[in-house]
Amino acid sequence: MTAAFHQVEAELLRSLVGQLLELVRGEPAQRDPRQAGDPLAAAFGLGDDPTRPTDPVVLRLFPDAYRDDDESAAEFRRFTERGLREAKAEAAAVVLASLAAIGPVESDDPLDSGGEKARLNLDADEAQAWLRTLTDLRLALGTRLGVEEGDGGQWQALPDDDPRRHIHDVYEWLGWVQETLVRALSAGLD
Amino acid sequence: MTTAPAEVERPESDEVVVPDTPWTTVVWNDPVNLMSYVTYVFQSYFGYARGKAEKLMLDVHEKGKAIVSSGTREAMERDVEAMHSYGLWATMQKAGDRG
Repeated sequence: MTAAFHQVEAELLRSLVGQLLELVRGEPAQRDPRQAGDPLAAAFGLGDDPTRPTDPVVLRLFPDAYRDDDESAAEFRRFTERGLREAKAEAAAVVLASLAAIGPVESDDPLDSGGEKARLNLDADEAQAWLRTLTDLRLALGTRLGVEEGDGGQWQALPDDDPRRHIHDVYEWLGWVQETLVRALSAGLD
Repeated sequence: MTTAPAEVERPESDEVVVPDTPWTTVVWNDPVNLMSYVTYVFQSYFGYARGKAEKLMLDVHEKGKAIVSSGTREAMERDVEAMHSYGLWATMQKAGDRG
């Protein structure tokens, strides 16, 4: 599978994925004090129980698995959140590695401001990492912006200098990139 | 798939085996995920045919949620964790519970 990006697009992706990586690697804001510093629990990967995230973006990336059962939701979080965070971080790192492989676009024309697109080839595993990372980026941006279904016009109506308009443009562009990728991967399933 | 051995030695036990209450995995609508992506996840993770995957995706989109799998509690925990790894908003509940 081949993807092509302009230099500015690749730079933008690098910056966003870097921020996502920080977010999913970030220490949970609060931890269960009962577990703190228990070496045995830590040895079994059970130390430092993550508690329910207060940041809506983090909560959207690691949602409650039970709606009306806080105890079961906490237990599910205890056994899954660490692994989910690692998997998301790993996928983001794969995307950063593919972007690093692009390198600068060579051009003889000093005035060429990135008209050429750099191509990169993705194998099946890399494509999966891109798919999940694009999803996580859109979840993060969409949750931060507060997007709702069918609200496209609202963002276009914002003044040009409103940063939310720019962020929403990026969010839409990521959706377009993902749609292209999903279409290519879905074709392989039938 | 595999076949059971002809003779099985069973350790003696006084434990009463309570049949597992079937559980379900529910995927909820969200304004971010692409319809094509949700269909793709249902196809590639659960192995559903495109028609079934699309029907479930539309249920999520139009009715707000859909039951996408059912089984033991352990199996549903695996499914919910997988859905979260794909970025889908999933919960689990006992079969018959209204969400």
